[in-house]
Amino acid sequence: MQLFKDFINGLWNENPIFRMVIGICSALAVTTSANNGIAMGMALTFVLTCSSIFISLLRHIIPDKVRIPCYIIVVATFTTVVDLFMKAYFPSLYEVMGIFIPLIVVNCIVLARAEAFASKVGPVRAAADALGMGLGYTWAITLISMIRELMGAGTLFGYQVMSDSFTPWVIGILPPGAFIVMGILVGLINMITRKKVKDTHCQ
Amino acid sequence: MAKELFFIIVSSIFVNNFVFSRFLGNCPFLGVSNKTETAIGMGMATTFVLTMTAVAAYFIQNYILVPFGLESFLQIISFILVIASLVQLVEMIILKVSPALYNAFGIFLPLITTNCIVLAVALLIPMSDYNLIESIALGLGAGLGFTLALALMSGIREELEFADVPEALRGPAIVFITAGLLSMIFLGFTGLVPL
Amino acid sequence: MNQYVRMIVVLMIISIASGAVLALSYEATNPKIQEQARQTLEQSVLNVIPGATKMEVVEKQDMTIYVGIDDQGNKKGISFKATGSGFNGPIEIMVGYNPREGKLTGIQILSMSETPGLGAKIKEEAFTKQFTQKPVEDEFTVKEDVEAISGATISSTAVADAIKASLDKIVKIYPVGGDF
Repeated sequence: MQLFKDFINGLWNENPIFRMVIGICSALAVTTSANNGIAMGMALTFVLTCSSIFISLLRHIIPDKVRIPCYIIVVATFTTVVDLFMKAYFPSLYEVMGIFIPLIVVNCIVLARAEAFASKVGPVRAAADALGMGLGYTWAITLISMIRELMGAGTLFGYQVMSDSFTPWVIGILPPGAFIVMGILVGLINMITRKKVKDTHCQ
Repeated sequence: MAKELFFIIVSSIFVNNFVFSRFLGNCPFLGVSNKTETAIGMGMATTFVLTMTAVAAYFIQNYILVPFGLESFLQIISFILVIASLVQLVEMIILKVSPALYNAFGIFLPLITTNCIVLAVALLIPMSDYNLIESIALGLGAGLGFTLALALMSGIREELEFADVPEALRGPAIVFITAGLLSMIFLGFTGLVPL
Repeated sequence: MNQYVRMIVVLMIISIASGAVLALSYEATNPKIQEQARQTLEQSVLNVIPGATKMEVVEKQDMTIYVGIDDQGNKKGISFKATGSGFNGPIEIMVGYNPREGKLTGIQILSMSETPGLGAKIKEEAFTKQFTQKPVEDEFTVKEDVEAISGATISSTAVADAIKASLDKIVKIYPVGGDF
């Protein structure tokens, strides 16, 4: 039960993108097409889950004073692994994501979960929480990228869905579109839950 | 040479502004753009760290990573560790040298390590094959562009407090929409300089 | 003192472990990364030289030239990379050239960051096919002998200029009508 709660938490209540508003750089930058959204989400989920498990396992060994450098090393290691594997097996996706795969290291979600959750609980709960957060991030950015792709190119996952007479709103895949779609989605989710997002939790 | 440097700086401030068109440093952009004063303090501190990082990244890449053939798998980890130590070092030096300066922007320094602009600039330097001077120009330009974005946004947010924003959009939502409009303005700079 | 020793030991162990993991994954992925890069390059070379099935790399006067060869071992043409500055950033183009005929055999945009929906149309065949069979003596002036994409004159000009600039160098090495 506790595990399920930890897992569900990231999907909605503390959704990193829409409720906590953290880790949004990549969420805005790579969301020009739905495929990119899913790929970025998977990459982050992998790094987040692996590093949460490791940090949780090492939580009694790591001295308090050097915990941040230790976390950074663990996260950077997994990020580099993802970076290398993507370069080797998905070169075209890697090209689109460019610098945002290495930037997972400084993604607030990863360090924030390490500090606030993984370093305090056992590996199983840490993994459940990380998976929930990762999937919460993934669905959020997939939604953003689907809206942007539909608006900006008239396609979804690369398939034409709008009729030929539809003139794409190019602004959707340009930078301003990302900010505006994100703003409107955060507003809509505020409306649904009738609870205001206080302010960003990460600075 | 001077022309190229000018292009790098102008392009990283206006044409490819790190916040509005490259989406880097959005977390601090949302977090500390409440008041103009703190926004400018944060911007200055970041600019300083960015310029130092650019120098450090250049030397690490060209004198440590490449000669030993480590650039493809130790780059991320070494850059992020150097940035973290650099920020700590800058904080200690400022505290010793000028407590007044420390009071002005010392509190922002710990936040800079996780600002993705810093790591991004470090990674962009080897990617674009910049020499030392060009690297410094990129760091400086990125920092100034970030400061400009923060200053603009904080000015607007101070006014927004008096505006009648719909209930659901209050908080980060309206900031995103405002950033979108600002980003649209920055689109107007594309094509300003040859890249 | 004890806690400092512990701090250093723990940090060192974690760093060593991380270094080992990274070195291993680098060993595991590096051949694949190299292979992918070579394949992408070869694919673009074969795309711009019709009939070629293999490529051969030649270094000549600081230029890297890719020679396209067919199944019988005949040289079908050469290709090279041209770069120019577009509206939003650099544009990289693979250009195919047949010195015997003095004509381009095709172009392919390798990388660019032009505006989606406008300048990004330089990637599309509608724009690139006009360079196929184009004599290299042409002026490559947009709106005269090169058709521009409407609303994206700067991107179109960037492509035409980049091709012309590197052609000037290439034609000195491989003159029209000469062998290669």
